[in-house]
Amino acid sequence: MYAVLYPPNFSAQAAVRERPELRKKPFALLDGEPPTDTVHAANKAARSIGVEVGMTRLQAETFPEVACLRRVIAHESSAHTALHTVACMFSPRIEQVDAHPGTYALDIGGMDTLFGDSLQLANKLRQSIMAAGFIANVAVAQNLYAAACLAYGRAGVSVVPPGYEANAIGQLPLRVLDLSPDHEATLHAWGIRTCSELAALSEDELIARLGQSAKRLHALARGNWTHLMVPLEPSFEAGLVERMDLDFPVEVIEPLLFLLARMTDSLLERVKNTARAIASLRLVLNLDGGRRHERIVRPALPLQDTQTLLKLLQLDLEAHPPSGAVLGLELSAQSAAPHRAQHGLFLPQAPEAGRLEVLLARLRKLLGEQRVGSPELTDDHRPNAFRVVPFAPPPPAQGMARTLSVPTALRVCRPPQIIGVSLDRNTPASIFWEGIKYVVREVAGPWRVSGQWWSEANWCREEWDVRLLKADETERVCRIAFDPRSRSWYLQGTYD
Amino acid sequence: MASAAQIRLQVESTLANRVPAALTLKIKEAAEVLPTGIAAIDAALSGGIPRGCITEISGAASTGKTSFALAAVAAITQSGAACAWVDVSDSLSPESAAAAGIVLKRLLWLRTVPERKQRVTSKPWSHLEQALKATDLLLQAGGFAAIVLDMSDVFPKHVTRIPLATWYRLRLAAEQARTALIFLTQSPCVGSCAALSLRAEQSSVMPFSVDKETALFEGQQYDLVRERNRNEVSAVFKKPAARVELNTETLWTRAR
Repeated sequence: MYAVLYPPNFSAQAAVRERPELRKKPFALLDGEPPTDTVHAANKAARSIGVEVGMTRLQAETFPEVACLRRVIAHESSAHTALHTVACMFSPRIEQVDAHPGTYALDIGGMDTLFGDSLQLANKLRQSIMAAGFIANVAVAQNLYAAACLAYGRAGVSVVPPGYEANAIGQLPLRVLDLSPDHEATLHAWGIRTCSELAALSEDELIARLGQSAKRLHALARGNWTHLMVPLEPSFEAGLVERMDLDFPVEVIEPLLFLLARMTDSLLERVKNTARAIASLRLVLNLDGGRRHERIVRPALPLQDTQTLLKLLQLDLEAHPPSGAVLGLELSAQSAAPHRAQHGLFLPQAPEAGRLEVLLARLRKLLGEQRVGSPELTDDHRPNAFRVVPFAPPPPAQGMARTLSVPTALRVCRPPQIIGVSLDRNTPASIFWEGIKYVVREVAGPWRVSGQWWSEANWCREEWDVRLLKADETERVCRIAFDPRSRSWYLQGTYD
Repeated sequence: MASAAQIRLQVESTLANRVPAALTLKIKEAAEVLPTGIAAIDAALSGGIPRGCITEISGAASTGKTSFALAAVAAITQSGAACAWVDVSDSLSPESAAAAGIVLKRLLWLRTVPERKQRVTSKPWSHLEQALKATDLLLQAGGFAAIVLDMSDVFPKHVTRIPLATWYRLRLAAEQARTALIFLTQSPCVGSCAALSLRAEQSSVMPFSVDKETALFEGQQYDLVRERNRNEVSAVFKKPAARVELNTETLWTRAR
């Protein structure tokens, strides 16, 4: 048996629930971007004086006694939550009906021992909904769609004994079947007004004229269209939260790790039961003085190992310690399918995923966030433009080494070092760097490079390749550059 | 009278619990090597850079250390393995690395933190400590085929103050992790911990301009001198130092 609760004019009821002063005056809810907003809902008083859904704001405002209000989604969400709570009190298996907001279908099989027979249950359900601030129709039937049609079309409580669904919905108008405009027009032209008149038609003839969708319509009108109930389940992800309040403030991290270990264990146990792994951990520390310290640890691959997750949390907290004493902890997890890798006997060795995460966290703590990663060349004309991306090597694979000539590597000076240069006929003749004089033996250039002239970050320089000779006869080949804006010479790097 | 073989067997069986095969010569297994992709150098190094060992490449500036190390890492990453580059002076050029053929996604680049208003060469202790600690962590984690510890820009007087015990520890860790630890320095300081020791030198000078053409830096010629290769040292004869030529060319020359 199914019970369907339907609050008619849900948006208007939700608005009245939040603003009780609207209960006795006509009002219309407007939705959409001004100035093209239209009437989304109106209460009975407003409808009785001529306000209709779909009217423009201008049309609605021609009724001086009607209050035009903006539709507030938050009010409707709050109303949804209230109705959901009431529905959950009467059955563990409930389903939300998407076609009509605020409508819930309840599987009430086996609930008679708690709430009495179907009629008693329906009455109790309606009373509970009214206590929550709503007026709702409640219908009970063996068929879910028949119950829904009754709730849409008949006010109050309706209970249909099994097998009498067709009779019960027979006198209801066709609008309870949620017809498409085309079908509604066609059936209206045929003179069909009620469900019983539609059910009396031949199914084959109806399908021949309206198409395959007519089969559903015909079955709905007879009250025997079957439905596979998909009950709302509590969100698994939302439940992956562990909270703990401390008796006294804790200022050092080590004692917290014992608590975090227990909380991580508990989360991982729940995640493992569904054959999943932890993709990220969000730690919120409630600090003394009402402040919050939030950290998110997100390993590159979902992990099922408490030790690794705990070590990542520890390293993250050590790198970003809280700014005060800790009064409470909240650890929430996000789950994902565990990482699976197909290893091979003859593949090159690669860092193990879990250990690599801990290693990278340790290195980040040692060197800094931006000092650890893989270099990636950026699409930029500026020489040696790059960015550092997180190190995530692709799975090891058998590859073939390409035979290319060996390029001359440039060792870059970051930042470029200022040098002194003496010129001879506009060509560098000697260089002074770190107190040492170098004689320029050979020089190639200048190579003028520039870019981003359209922005503040524009750059321009003349680059030279020079072979330098030190006093002790050692040579080095360098790249130097002249910046015309600062009128300075820089050492860009050394070829090695 | 018992023969020598019987006596040896008797001694070995007596000491078996304390020293296994006490009087039998231990057969040394050939070290696994990682080819560098440069045929002449691979031939001189008996196949390439040894795994599980320290390879020391020493030489002054502009002697080809970095070019050779980049070529070796390129060959290793192209074979599908991951590598790490511990950059003490933050001087690696990703452009040069990409030009050498390194698969950048397989390269973990670690840059030590620069101290404000201080050059690397002036007070490098924190840099060296960070670099050695990072190298230690990499070796402990394992999984990297090669790790390059680049101290090319650090003065020899500073590098030589790294205690020998550190190199022993790193050698042991590299052996256990089966990782080739390539150490770039200006002057040799690893000593006997290095299984392979190479000295980089400048070879003949390639002039920028030939026949009064427009001057252009087209490339360099270097020499790599193999000073020690512990993996091929014979018990009786010590092989003489081998010299291999390494020719490099600039990117614009390659494009032309």
